[in-house]
Amino acid sequence: MKKLLVVVLALMMLLGTVAHAEIAGKQVALMTPYLGSVTTNQMVEYMKTDLESKGATVTVINTNNDFAMLASRIEDVATSGQTDAIVLVSADPSQIANQLQDAFEAGIPVFGCDSGFIDGMAVNATSDNYQMGELIVKYVFDELMGGKGTVIALTHRPHPGVVKRCIAFDDLLKEYPDITLITEQHVPAEQPINDAQTIVENLLLANAEKDSITAIWAAWDEPAIGATQALKEAGRDEVLVTGVDGNQQAISLIAEGGNLKATVAQNFEGMAKIVVEEMEKLFDGQEIEKGEKYAPATLITLDNVNEFIEK
Amino acid sequence: MKNMKKSLQAYGTLLALAIIILVFSILRPAAFFTVRNFINISRQISLMVIISIGATLVMSINEFDLSVGSMASLGGVMSALMAVNGLPLPLCFLLPILISLVIGWINGWIVAKFKVLSFITTLGMSTVLSGVIYRLTGGATVFQNIPKGFSWLGTFKIGEIPLLSVIMLAFVVLFGFIMRHTVLGRRLYAIGGNEETSKVAGINVPLYKNIAFALCAVLSCITGMLIASRVGSANTTAGDGYFLSSYAAVFIGCTVSKKGIPNVLGTLVGCAILGILTNGLTMLQMPTYMQDIITGAIIIFAVIMQKLGKGNAN
Repeated sequence: MKKLLVVVLALMMLLGTVAHAEIAGKQVALMTPYLGSVTTNQMVEYMKTDLESKGATVTVINTNNDFAMLASRIEDVATSGQTDAIVLVSADPSQIANQLQDAFEAGIPVFGCDSGFIDGMAVNATSDNYQMGELIVKYVFDELMGGKGTVIALTHRPHPGVVKRCIAFDDLLKEYPDITLITEQHVPAEQPINDAQTIVENLLLANAEKDSITAIWAAWDEPAIGATQALKEAGRDEVLVTGVDGNQQAISLIAEGGNLKATVAQNFEGMAKIVVEEMEKLFDGQEIEKGEKYAPATLITLDNVNEFIEK
Repeated sequence: MKNMKKSLQAYGTLLALAIIILVFSILRPAAFFTVRNFINISRQISLMVIISIGATLVMSINEFDLSVGSMASLGGVMSALMAVNGLPLPLCFLLPILISLVIGWINGWIVAKFKVLSFITTLGMSTVLSGVIYRLTGGATVFQNIPKGFSWLGTFKIGEIPLLSVIMLAFVVLFGFIMRHTVLGRRLYAIGGNEETSKVAGINVPLYKNIAFALCAVLSCITGMLIASRVGSANTTAGDGYFLSSYAAVFIGCTVSKKGIPNVLGTLVGCAILGILTNGLTMLQMPTYMQDIITGAIIIFAVIMQKLGKGNAN
C-alpha cells in the first residue's frame, strides 16, 4: 500500500513537472527569408542568445529572399515533429498561410517577430508600422518641408511592414495640398543602397534645378542611405532625406549633419523581447492574448542621434 | 533589298540603341542628352559590364556560370571583412581575387573533368558560396568599422570621370582584345563552336575551360568588391541581382555579332541598352512596374529579332 502511494505520488510529481513545462529543453526554429538585413539579423541574434541562455535549443533557418523555399522549410519543420515553437522573423505569414496551417494542425505554436498576424498564430511582435510612417511623414511634411514643396518616395510595397508606412504616406499626402509627389520608385531588396543611389542620380539629373526637389522620403533606411550618397556627390545640399529603421549606417550619416535628417528607430530588441516573454508564458501554461503586440518607436534626429550610436 | 536586310541584321541592335537614345533625348532634352548624364550612365552600368564580361567568356565556350551573382556577393563580403579586420587595403582587394580564381578553376575543372552540365555544377557552387557567405557574416550586412579608404575605388573621380567608368573601360579593352586577337580568345571561340573538332585539332579543352570559368569568377569577384566599395557596406545578397541582368546583356550582345556569338563589345552594348532604359525611364518618372514591363519586353524582342534575322539569312 505504501509502495503504491509512493508510486502515485511520484507519478503526480512527474505529471506536475510535465504540465509545468518550461522553456528549457524546447526546440525553437527561427525562420526568415531576410537574414541579410541588419535589423532582421539583430532580432534573430537577440532571440537566439536569450532563448539559449534559458536552456532552449535554437535553429536558425534563412532562405535568402526566397519565400517558396521558406514555405518548404516550414513544411519540413511541421512534419518532422521535432520542433516545439516556430518564430517567423520579418516574413509575411499570409504568403505562407498553407504551410503555417500544417504547423497549426501539428500543434506547434507560431510566433511572429516583425512579421504579420494571421489566425492560428500565437503572437506577432512588431512596430505599429502605420504609426511609424505617420511619425516620420509628419516630421518630413511639417518640420522639414514647412507644409509645401515636392517630394520623391522610395518604397518597397511587397514588404508587410513597409507597405503600412507607404499607406500612411499616401494618406497624409492627401492632407497636404501644397506638397506634390514627383514620383514614387520601387527599390528592390537585394542591394537597396546601390539601386536607390542609381535611381536618385537619374532623378537628380531630371530635376536638375536647385530646390526642384524639397525632400526624399524613403520607406526604410537603406534607400535613404543610397539617396544621401547620390545627393552628396551631386552637391545637392538642399534636398532633405529621411529613412525608417535606425540602422547604424543611417545613424552615422545623420550625425554627420548632411542630407539625411531623420529616421525612426524601431525597437527591434523590444520586439524580440516580447516574443521570448510570450513564448515563456505559453510554455508555462499561461493563457496568452493572441494578436499583434507593439514595441514603441522613437524619432531620431540630429538632436538625439548620439544616444543611438553604437560604440 | 538583301543588303539592307543584312545590315539590319548586323546593326539592328545598335539601331535599337540609337532609337532608345533618340526617344529619351526628345522626351527629356535638357536632362538626358548631356555629357553629365552619359558619364552618369557609364558609372551606373560599369559594375554590370564587368560581371557580364565574365559571363561572356563562359558563354563563348558554350557553357553557363550560374554562380556569378553569389560569387560577386562573396567577393564584396570577403574584402569588407578583411578591411574590418585591419588587413592592408591592397590585400583586401587582392586576396579575394586569388580565392575567386581558385573557386572558378574548381567550377571549370568539375565541368571539364566529369563532363557534367555547367548549369547544374555552377548552381551547386552558387549554393555552396551562399552558405559560405552565411557562415562568414551570420547573414548580416558588413558595415561596422569599415575603414574610410575602403570606399576609394568605388567613389573616386578623375576630374568628372568616375574611376569605376575607367575600370570598366579598361576591362572592355583588355578582354575585347584578348577575345579577338589572342590565341586564348580564338581557342575559346573554337571550343564554343565545336568542342570535338577543337579536341581533334589538338586544343587542350579542359585547360581552356578552367581558364574561362576562373576568369569569370575573378570578374564576378571584382564586381562584388566594387559594389561594396561603392556603397560602403557589403550586403550578403548584393551581387545576386546581377546574375539575370548579366546574361540578358550577353544575349542582347550576341545579336550585335554577325555570327550571333557572345562578344565583349556586344555585351557592352547590351549593358548600355539595359542601363540607358533604366536611366531614361527613371528620368521620365515612370513607375517601376512600367520600367520592368518595358525592359523585359525589349529583351524578348531582341532575341526574336536575332532569330528571325538568322532564319532569313539561311
